Amino acid sequence: MKKLLSMALGLLMLSTALVASDATAPETVQTATVDKAAPNFTLTDVNGKTHSLSDFKGKFVVLEWVNFDCPFVKKHYGAKNMQTLQAAYTKKEVVWLSICSSNKGKQGYFEGKELTDRITAEGHSASAYLIDTDGKVGKLYGAKTTPNMYVINPEGVLIYAGAIDNTPSPNPDDIKTSTNYVAAALDAAMAGKPVAVKTSAPYGCGVKY
Amino acid sequence: MDLQKRLLWMTCLFALALTLAATVQALPTRVGHLEVELVSPVRTVQPGQPFEVGLHFTLDDHWHLYWQNPGDAGLPPKMTWSLPDGFVVEPIRWPIPEKTITPPLASYGYSHELIVPLRITPPPTLAVGQTVTLSGKASWLVCREECVPGDAQLSLMLEVADHLQPDSIWAPKFAAIQYPSEADFAVQSDFDGTHFQLRFPLPDKSTAALVLAEFYSGDRGVIDHIASQPISIVDGSVQLTIPKNEYLIDRPDSLQGLLVLTNSDSTKSYVQFVSSLSEDQPVAVTATTTETSFWQAILFAFIGGLILNLMPCVLPVLSLKILGFVNHADATHTKPLHHGMIFTAGVLVSFWLLAGTLLFLKAGGEQLGWGFQLQSPIFLVVITSFIFLFGLNLLGLFELGTSFASAGAVAAGKTGFGGSFLNGVTATIVATPCTAPFMGSALGYSLAQPAWIAMLIFTSIALGMAAPYLALSASPKLLRYVPRPGRWMETFKQFLGFVLLATVLWLLWVLGIQIGTAGLIFILAALLLLAVAGWIIGRWDTLVATTRAKLLARGSALVLAAAALVIGISGASFENVAVATRSNEKGAIAWETFTPERVEELRTAGKPIFIDFTAAWCLSCQVNEKVAFSSADVQQRFLDLGIVPLKADWTARDQVIAQALARFGRNSVPLYVLYHNSATEPILLPEILTPGIVLEALNSITDLPANNSPTRQVTIHGEEPLKERS
Repeated sequence: MKKLLSMALGLLMLSTALVASDATAPETVQTATVDKAAPNFTLTDVNGKTHSLSDFKGKFVVLEWVNFDCPFVKKHYGAKNMQTLQAAYTKKEVVWLSICSSNKGKQGYFEGKELTDRITAEGHSASAYLIDTDGKVGKLYGAKTTPNMYVINPEGVLIYAGAIDNTPSPNPDDIKTSTNYVAAALDAAMAGKPVAVKTSAPYGCGVKY
Repeated sequence: MDLQKRLLWMTCLFALALTLAATVQALPTRVGHLEVELVSPVRTVQPGQPFEVGLHFTLDDHWHLYWQNPGDAGLPPKMTWSLPDGFVVEPIRWPIPEKTITPPLASYGYSHELIVPLRITPPPTLAVGQTVTLSGKASWLVCREECVPGDAQLSLMLEVADHLQPDSIWAPKFAAIQYPSEADFAVQSDFDGTHFQLRFPLPDKSTAALVLAEFYSGDRGVIDHIASQPISIVDGSVQLTIPKNEYLIDRPDSLQGLLVLTNSDSTKSYVQFVSSLSEDQPVAVTATTTETSFWQAILFAFIGGLILNLMPCVLPVLSLKILGFVNHADATHTKPLHHGMIFTAGVLVSFWLLAGTLLFLKAGGEQLGWGFQLQSPIFLVVITSFIFLFGLNLLGLFELGTSFASAGAVAAGKTGFGGSFLNGVTATIVATPCTAPFMGSALGYSLAQPAWIAMLIFTSIALGMAAPYLALSASPKLLRYVPRPGRWMETFKQFLGFVLLATVLWLLWVLGIQIGTAGLIFILAALLLLAVAGWIIGRWDTLVATTRAKLLARGSALVLAAAALVIGISGASFENVAVATRSNEKGAIAWETFTPERVEELRTAGKPIFIDFTAAWCLSCQVNEKVAFSSADVQQRFLDLGIVPLKADWTARDQVIAQALARFGRNSVPLYVLYHNSATEPILLPEILTPGIVLEALNSITDLPANNSPTRQVTIHGEEPLKERS
């Protein structure tokens, strides 16, 4: 009888699991929230090295969602704006992680030599270029566009999420007259001051999940 | 020299003429994946008179442009004007966009062809006879998967005249632009820090009934564009709850955008509004969404759980439990209370498991209701096999215990706490088809609440259901009144075996509706294999058998059971091609298949309608149909009043029916809705029907004047006052 019981229970569990899986419920992920701990993740960079957010405790971390072929990303890379920021802040011990969540075959997805060549050609100066082909980390952070920026403080708390600046346009000429929210958040936090603008609706191309 | 000069002049003039011709005709310019031109529905402008111009885009297939709020990504087209002095241009009046969802992103935009219209007012001092040139730089972002920004310098020349002369090509095109209409009702809005709430009056009943409402925010970064927007109808007004955008921190001053209202005849209307967010009004997000209060729901849930024990679904299990208690009454060495508590735990855990799964799936946007698991053929196959085996076991085909004498006790859960727990699980699962009808409003209420309240209500049902057993087991004195064990128990046990086989018949009927005869044959084959497996165990896995024989018996039984599982699951994947036939299968009432369109059609025609929301797996639905609708009086009354009977069969998963149920604040069947005509609110009948109840409801509509639509409270049955909404 015990055997029958456990078999029946097993079948019940199985059927519940089948019911659950056949309903194709979207994953309910807790996305990153400003003023809360930034969710940890582990990704492989272009050189095959793995990085976890937890490795960088004690440092400021910038997450930049990137897709080199998106016009809005081109705006900031073409005008050397993004690379200048990357270089300036990595010099100040900030860890700058560019993350590409483009799915295989979608725009912005490159592999092998094509990817390394592209990274060199763009003059990418971040700490690492991380590959998130299955979009798990992108969805974990709720990344919607490229660029979509996040700033995490040394305590691991997300202190800024959103657009790179206040001018939603693909026009490089607008950079000069825009307020850069990422730089502002980093400068304020490093000086021990509160971050004035903690979020802004990101603009750009949709992340190619 | 002279000739050269003349040639030069002529070339210049020719070039000038060409330029003029080009601007006047406003030839479209091809840029990337679209063509763009500046156009106007008028050929002439009149001093001081406003006129329209538009950016006309013709897009390549699959490419799109964006609305004023592009959504999660994108950018709306823009025009930077350089206009003659004194010309004033108004902001773009955006045509109705389409919402495109590509999880996790949602965007609002346009495909194929788009005119972005702008209104320009020239100065009154403009001299008639002259020509004005309107020019500017249009810029846009056009996307397919990828996005390409583009811009073009555009201009349009128009003559100034004393009247506006329409352009035969463009005037009709401008007239055909689909704009949202201005709201002719007040939209109230609130914000509680995480959710916006919009309230507006239920649109006029003479138009098609509202089935869906959605808000497209006109501003970026305000609402969560992809999240579902739960709708509820309270006191004649529609209430939409919309999660905020994750990037929104500051409370906005107002909400503006479109209300997209979908009617039962599938027409959509787009209403534009601006609503200032009230500063001081705290939002009552959930408290007012239904008329059932929290404590009322908890109480109904508990009482409902108690009464469930008397329902046909639970009776077989109840009998088994009684058998168990008979044993406990005599056995001093076991503690009945412990078994009662374990049984309660079994009921609780399975309710939590089912409710948790349901809530989880609902959170993911599934249109589900209670009893959802019975809409899954695989679940039905598993539960059918399990009950079938249990029945065979009671009939004595096989015994899994080592001692023949203890078999009855084993089945009744005497020997192990596992048995008591499993009894609880079985009781719950078998009870769900009855649970749903019995506590429709409590369940409907619970699923509209935050998850923890829903779980509390389910817990209350579970406790109510387990309460009699718990009471019996806690007070052994009561057990003395139960008959003593004896030979009758064996007879009773075998009889129960047949009761379980009857349950199997019912489950097979439900399955048959979902998977058809072809699928059903697989299931029956699986049951046959299971029976053979049981027989092998009963025949050869006995005390007197050798170890070798026992092992062989168990091995082959296992192989047969595995084969049964495979066959059963493949049978479950069949689809019944003739699902719709159930609506017309019996009785003198000629049921038609329910569709929201049909309801609207009939309401517009002023016909009374009776809608029966039912499902094959809903036992009380079947009982109601047998008891109430087979009554000759009821059938005659249906005919006399010319009522059109519609049957909404929810045996298999169906979004349309789930949404229709939600409109009545329900998520389970049965639900009986009686519409008199378009002018009156519908009457909801109780979940348990008698011919008397139906007749009373039918009679009540005969003395209602046609345009009388008071909010009536009709209490026909004890359970709850009937609510009337549309």
